[in-house]
Amino acid sequence: MSVFDIVFCIVALVTIGSAAIVVLSRSLIYSAFALLFTFFGVAIVYVMLGADFLAATQVLVYVGGILILLLFGVMLTHRLYNLNLKTETFQLIPGLLIALAVFTSLALAATQTHWKRVEKPVAATTETIGKLFMEEYLLPFEIASILLLVALIGAAMLVRRRSDA
Amino acid sequence: MILDNLHSLKFFLPELALTAGILLVILSDIALKGLRNRLNPLLTMVTLLLAAWFTFQLNDVPAASLFHGMLAIDGLAQFFKLLLLLAAALVVLGSLHSTELASVHQGEFFALLLAVTLGMVLLANSTHLAMLYLSLELVSLASYIMVGYLKTDRLSNEASLKYILFGAISTGSMLYGLSLVYGMTGSLSLYTIRDAFLNQAPEGVSQFTILLILVLTMAGFGFKTAVVPFHFWCPDVYAGAPTPVTAFLSVAPKAAGFAVLLRFFFSGMSQANGTHWELIRGIDWPLVLIGLSVLTMTLGNIAALTQNNLKRMLAYSSIAHAGYILMGSVVLTGDGVRAILVYLFVYLFMNLGAFLVVTIIYNSDKTFDIEDYNGMFKRSPFVAVAMAVFMLSLIGIPPFSGFMGKLYVFGSVIDKGLYWFAAIGALNAAVAAFYYMRVMKAMLIEESNGSPAPLQISFLNQALLVALLLPNVLLVIFWDPIDRWTSASARLFGGI
Amino acid sequence: MITLQHYLLLSAALFSLGVFGVLTRKNAVNVLMGIELILNSANINLIAFSRYSSHGLDGQMFAVFVIVVAAAEVAVALAIVLTMYRLLKTVSLDRADTLRR
Repeated sequence: MSVFDIVFCIVALVTIGSAAIVVLSRSLIYSAFALLFTFFGVAIVYVMLGADFLAATQVLVYVGGILILLLFGVMLTHRLYNLNLKTETFQLIPGLLIALAVFTSLALAATQTHWKRVEKPVAATTETIGKLFMEEYLLPFEIASILLLVALIGAAMLVRRRSDA
Repeated sequence: MILDNLHSLKFFLPELALTAGILLVILSDIALKGLRNRLNPLLTMVTLLLAAWFTFQLNDVPAASLFHGMLAIDGLAQFFKLLLLLAAALVVLGSLHSTELASVHQGEFFALLLAVTLGMVLLANSTHLAMLYLSLELVSLASYIMVGYLKTDRLSNEASLKYILFGAISTGSMLYGLSLVYGMTGSLSLYTIRDAFLNQAPEGVSQFTILLILVLTMAGFGFKTAVVPFHFWCPDVYAGAPTPVTAFLSVAPKAAGFAVLLRFFFSGMSQANGTHWELIRGIDWPLVLIGLSVLTMTLGNIAALTQNNLKRMLAYSSIAHAGYILMGSVVLTGDGVRAILVYLFVYLFMNLGAFLVVTIIYNSDKTFDIEDYNGMFKRSPFVAVAMAVFMLSLIGIPPFSGFMGKLYVFGSVIDKGLYWFAAIGALNAAVAAFYYMRVMKAMLIEESNGSPAPLQISFLNQALLVALLLPNVLLVIFWDPIDRWTSASARLFGGI
Repeated sequence: MITLQHYLLLSAALFSLGVFGVLTRKNAVNVLMGIELILNSANINLIAFSRYSSHGLDGQMFAVFVIVVAAAEVAVALAIVLTMYRLLKTVSLDRADTLRR
């Protein structure tokens, strides 16, 4: 068991544990903060897989953007004077059974398949990713910008208060 | 022939026109109020026409792969571009005199519509998994917003909430499936994926994982095309969204969903061989699709029998039609692909026509219930007869064009020897006749419940109704060019 | 030795937890959190396969786009949820059932 393996076990436990808190906790705020740990855990997993640029992007966008948005969502959709941030659940047992079935099939597929194996050294990725964005992945890059524009327009339009006929 | 970025641009003009249109509509929205209400639809129509014109220019271009293998230019791409642009143009015209949309500010609506069209055009031509996912999400995101466009209407908001939650789950699952494909083949390009599957030793293709991949990716494709069991969003979203948006969702994203389904399975998971495709050993995706098709047809038709809300009924009807269209994909022949193209083409006119009638009746009566359609013949014979034509076309009765769709689909299945499958389809079509006939009976025979005042229809809506009626009635007479066009279009880059 | 399978099992666990969250939670923002778990699990898959199964960085490029799409989706979803809150003063999904008559 090298240091790498130990670190992986710890990170995996933290990630899965906090993800469990996200879906099981009765308090919405605890769920949101557990999600923070999940996102960080995933970012560390990316580092362990040699994806340095992606780990940074994960922290910047997921933790710095999406999590903040979700916290806003939690805060803005409850009456603040009645800080009742408890949450209820639908039937737990069918959901649990389905989730277990899903996990079993995915785990089976993960361990039983002959995945394609390629040996390659781990290298810094940022420069390569930058070049790829400008060459092979230029079209998806531009379409992503249109997608963000659409999300921007849509979200702003849905939320603005000024009624403009 | 794989082109790089600079050389692909001249084949990318339709999409560039659409992008310019989106930006121009957003900019024109800051013009004066009176001017922009006229300018926005005008700009949208000009953009769509320009994009269509550019598409026509590309008609005789040899098949190619653009932007380092992201998109394909081939017969199929041309067909879907034209179909989707036509659908968008008809919906723009149909939305101009809709009372549901008149109460809200419309600038963003047209920008979103153009964005959905751009996304659908890219989706129908994607040959790379990243491009596929991005364009699918572009279509979905803009659709979620369009469904929830009436912010003060509770039903519209509920519909968009259900749509986005269900959609995000489905596309997230599809993404997991796509990642498994990447793991098995080491590539995101459909052609390399197919070659990798072909070159694997027979025992290397793990059957269970392939099944898992098929189920997960069908979650995404099935969501877009409203195939059972990924159809749960469909009735609620169709019922809650503004009717022009529902009309658009029922024909255009569905067509784009079928296009990407065709490309993914035919270019990525089958091997082209002259006039037909062959399965790669170990990947039996037609089996899964046959099962889904039977489920979809049956459930859609049976559920539609009990609906009283026209929009919900048409939602279940469009679910059932997706089942029929799927039939054309499992036969792995050029005839099957052509059947899908024919069906989507005639389906466009009959479904948009039905929804236009629903919009017209809502404009004056503010209702979607079938009981309030009673006695429509006395109030407006034109509308009642038009709806009767659309209903008959949807049933598939000759000489209306809906019949041609079913003829081609059932024909391709029978040619492959799957008689039982065609029999199930025919049985379903017969069952479906009941609920379509119910609408016709209400409008033509029943006595009116409320006031017998004549129906108010704007001139534009009348003209549009005629424009949608004509293809339903006349296409059968002028069928040969359609047949030739769809046969020529059933060619995929890298395939037959 | 940590191999590809370990990463895949991790992502399978996250996916299942996400599915569980989506199926059992009543609060719309909570369901969104489940969806984010699903997307993150797919991303782990993509990057793990990029490391072990692919010559280039395709998986990582795809993952960047997934992150972009996830951000856009959360923004739009929250806009819709906020609109629902304004109309109904609640974001509990069992109150969002008027369409099912």
